[in-house]
Amino acid sequence: MADDTATTTEGAPAAATDERRAALLAVFAEHLGNALLQSHIKPGQGLWIRVATTAWPEAAAVARDKAGLRFFDFLSAIDWLPSPYGRCEDSSVDVPFPPPMPDRSAAVPGYAGGDTRIQVLASLAKAGTDQRVLLKADVSDDDPRIGTWVNTYAGAAWHEREAHEMFGISFDGNADLRHIYLPSEFEGHPLRKEFPLLARVVKPWPGIVDVEPMPGGDPEDDAAEEGAEA
Amino acid sequence: MGLVESGKMPKPLTKLLNLSRKYSIWAYQWGLACCAIEMGAAFASPRYDVMRLGVIPFPASPRQADLVVISGTVTDKIVPAIKRLYEQMPDPKYVISMGSCTNCGGPYWDSYSVTKGVDQIVPVDVYVPGCPPRPEALLEGVVLLQERIHNEDMAERWRGGQDRQEPIVVG
Repeated sequence: MADDTATTTEGAPAAATDERRAALLAVFAEHLGNALLQSHIKPGQGLWIRVATTAWPEAAAVARDKAGLRFFDFLSAIDWLPSPYGRCEDSSVDVPFPPPMPDRSAAVPGYAGGDTRIQVLASLAKAGTDQRVLLKADVSDDDPRIGTWVNTYAGAAWHEREAHEMFGISFDGNADLRHIYLPSEFEGHPLRKEFPLLARVVKPWPGIVDVEPMPGGDPEDDAAEEGAEA
Repeated sequence: MGLVESGKMPKPLTKLLNLSRKYSIWAYQWGLACCAIEMGAAFASPRYDVMRLGVIPFPASPRQADLVVISGTVTDKIVPAIKRLYEQMPDPKYVISMGSCTNCGGPYWDSYSVTKGVDQIVPVDVYVPGCPPRPEALLEGVVLLQERIHNEDMAERWRGGQDRQEPIVVG
C-alpha cells in the first residue's frame, strides 16, 4: 500500500479514496479545529490522527460523543528512539555497556508524524462497524505529561497505569497511577529504549551459537555456517 | 511422633512410614503458564492416570499438600505468593520445578520481569527440563521423588542433621 494517499493538511478531509474514513476524519477536524495536527488514511485499512498534547482529553470526548466511537480498545505509548543496544538477537558481538545513546533525531515517528520521542496512542472503535481510529499525541521528552482519559473512557485508567510504569508518562487527573504489572518496588521504565536488560549485560545472547542443524539439512552446510558464526 | 522427634525410631517403622508417604503424595498444582497444560494432562487426564502412582492431585489448599509442582513462568510480581505458598505447606514438603521458565527463566532469561529460576525463592527437589516437558517427563520426576522419599531418614531430617540432598534432574 502506497503512502501517497497521506493527508498532512490542517484538518482537511482525506483523498476521496476512502469516503467513510474521510467522513470520520472530518468529524474530528470539525470539532478539534487547529488541535488536529496531522492525519493519515490508508484506504480500506486505517485512520491515524495526531492531536495536540493539550487537546488529548478533548479528542476523547469528541471521539465518543461526536464520532460515536464508544468502544475503547487500548491506550498505550511508543518510544520511537532506536534501541541503543542494537538488535542483540542478530548480533554475535557484545554491545559495550553502557552503550552510546542514539541521537535524538534518530527517532522517526510513524504515520501522522510527530515532534517528540515518545507518543501516547489509543485505539477507538465503533462496535458493530469497521469504524476505527488510532489517536496519537506527542509528550515532551523532559516531562512526559498528558491529560487523562478516565473521565471519558473509564476503562482507560488501567491502560494509563501501564503506560505510566512502562514509559514514565504522567496522566494529569488520573489519581491512581500505582504499578499494575510490575512489582511495586520496581525502578525504571522497562519499555523505554534506554532501559538495560541486565541479564544481557552480564551474558551475551547465546541463541545464535547453539542453533541446532535442521533435520534433513546438509550436514556440511550446517558445519560451515557454525564455523562462520564462531 | 515422639519417637520420630527423639530420633529413636526403629528401622522397620521408618520404612513403613516412608512407604506410606511415598504412595500418598498430595500434589498441589501451581500452574503459571503453558506448562500447566502439560501438568493438567499428567495430573488430571485418564491417559496418564497419575493416581496409579500414588499421587493425589486434590489438595484444596497448600496446607494439605506434600508436594507442589511449580510450572510456568515465575515473574517477580508473583514471587511473594510462591514464598507464602511454600511456607504454608506442612513439613515434610517437596517442590518440583517444571519447565525451562521455572528452572532458569527459559526463553525469558533476559526479561525485566521474569525470575531467573524458582530455586532463588524456594528449595527445589526435582527439576523437570523441557519447554514444555511432556507429561511423561513430569511423571518421571514424580517417580524419582518417590524413590528419594522411600530412602529418606526422617529422624535425621527432623533433627536437621541431614544435609540437604542434591536436587534430582530428570532426563
